[in-house]
Amino acid sequence: MSQTETSAAESVVPILRLRGVGRRFGGVHAVRGVDLDVRAGERRAVLGPNGAGKTTLFNVIAGEFPPTEGSVELFGVDVTNKPARARVPLGVTRTFQISRLFGGLSVADNLYVSIIGAEGGHLRPIRNAKDRAYHAQARELGDRVGLGGVLDELVGALSHGEQRQLEIGMALAGDPKLIMLDEPAAGLARAERVKLTEMLLGFDRSITMILIEHDMDVALTVAEHVTMMHDGRIVVEGTPSEIRGNQLVHDLYLGKGHRNHE
Amino acid sequence: MIPARLQWPVGFGVVLVAALLPFVCSSYTTSQILTRSLILGLAAASLIFLASLGGWVSLAQLGLYGVAGFTVGNLAKADGGAKVFAMDIWVASLLALVVTVLVGLLIGVIASRSEGIYFLMITLAFGVIIRLLFEKATDLSGFGGINQIIQPSLLGSAQLDPERIYWLCLAICVLVYLGVRYFARTPFGLAFQGIRDNTPRMRALGYNVTLMRTVAFGIGAFIAALAGVLNVWWNTQISPGTIDIGPVIFLLMIAIIGGLYRIEGAWVGALIYVVLDNRLRSIDVVGERVATALGIIFLLIVLLSPGGVMGIYESLSSRWRRTGVTGGATSDGDGTATPTVAGD
Repeated sequence: MSQTETSAAESVVPILRLRGVGRRFGGVHAVRGVDLDVRAGERRAVLGPNGAGKTTLFNVIAGEFPPTEGSVELFGVDVTNKPARARVPLGVTRTFQISRLFGGLSVADNLYVSIIGAEGGHLRPIRNAKDRAYHAQARELGDRVGLGGVLDELVGALSHGEQRQLEIGMALAGDPKLIMLDEPAAGLARAERVKLTEMLLGFDRSITMILIEHDMDVALTVAEHVTMMHDGRIVVEGTPSEIRGNQLVHDLYLGKGHRNHE
Repeated sequence: MIPARLQWPVGFGVVLVAALLPFVCSSYTTSQILTRSLILGLAAASLIFLASLGGWVSLAQLGLYGVAGFTVGNLAKADGGAKVFAMDIWVASLLALVVTVLVGLLIGVIASRSEGIYFLMITLAFGVIIRLLFEKATDLSGFGGINQIIQPSLLGSAQLDPERIYWLCLAICVLVYLGVRYFARTPFGLAFQGIRDNTPRMRALGYNVTLMRTVAFGIGAFIAALAGVLNVWWNTQISPGTIDIGPVIFLLMIAIIGGLYRIEGAWVGALIYVVLDNRLRSIDVVGERVATALGIIFLLIVLLSPGGVMGIYESLSSRWRRTGVTGGATSDGDGTATPTVAGD
């Protein structure tokens, strides 16, 4: 992440543009007045204590539900009221804070279903030549996220760490342009977190990454830009070193570090 | 579990033995036990298809089976029903398949938005609506049902050639079985299982979950329709009682006895049910209390194994393989994943 590379990327139009985004759930204002630009190739971390609205913001970007205020633009297209499945073809993928996998299918089939999700042909009731390629692609992707040894295991039988790896593998299926990771390090042991950090740093530069993470080591190592949220609003933005030195961040987050680090 | 490399030979052997049974069984057994088991098994297969791959327990399958049967009865030459069409039985049967799939898609549109107990209740409601429709509209169901539906001539006489319809049913069951096994490995089939396991993830992956479920329900309706058409070919009659709430529950029992997670279970459950239903009556103590006796046997099987008979078979064979074959030779031969659907 050299300085020139970052500034070159910043000259282009943002691939994600949020303007005045808010989301209410009844009386709860989970997210409010969020303006955010993310440029192609950027690695952005979204930090904040529990309940700050990070995951709600993710859900609005991914199209799980529409915002109650403001607009969402992806790759220059207004997708504010489009469902998730209209955003996938644009190249938007995500992981979930709590793994959402297909427990009755093998690792390879989980990845295969993810690839088909992006490639289309969802209702095809026959196998054809393309499927062989997709299955091969799925196995290769499984290898890439460190699951080469368990490709034919049922996902329900995997360890927690392996399931987290598969979460990321599924988000990498089908050439994503914007990948959103919701606490990928949740519940991982120290050694697994180191491996995860390496994997995230190894992502192709063509992939833009937004990362929600409670683990500061992982987040500040991987990210080049950090957005700090509190009470549904963005309170601080900056580089990892600025964030490390920011007093408000310390008060909000690191001050309660012991509780948040678990 | 049968090792992967033995699956084809074993399956072929089972079908071969089944095909030869009419030569050793009486006409009565061929017709009333074997053919009936195949047809009920096919109806149960439509239920297990949705349950094993989609995680859906549908109580509308027998209603759809009835829609197919009544459509044949009304369109073909028969005693009772609409009578005005008097079509060729093949045309009538083909149209019955189309009509049933359309009705299935219609139910699917509504039911595909629900899951679990709500899906069960919605499909039950549709099953009851279908029965009430045919019961009240006597123009469509005749008084006391539609009788003497003309069979296709190639089946000969139901009394004299019971093996012909048996073989036809066997062939169709084999095709449906292979079709379902094939479907489970297609993009649609794997995605349908994905919806079963995690619907929100499927939405995030870009799938139109509601559409896929609706179409899958239509496929289930097609299987039920095949069973419904075969039933009137075999039975030459159908009445609203065929699809009453009692038979609906018995069909669910057949599926659960066989095992909701494996399509083979449909025919295993049906054979057990038909044999019991047939033999229990002749035992003095049971007599007319067949339903009670069946209920007790059903309870025993379910208590023994939530996966039904197929579940018992699986746990026994895996225990046998663990103790009987030692020394690392326990993989499924070529290392392919077992096709078991882990639904529990």
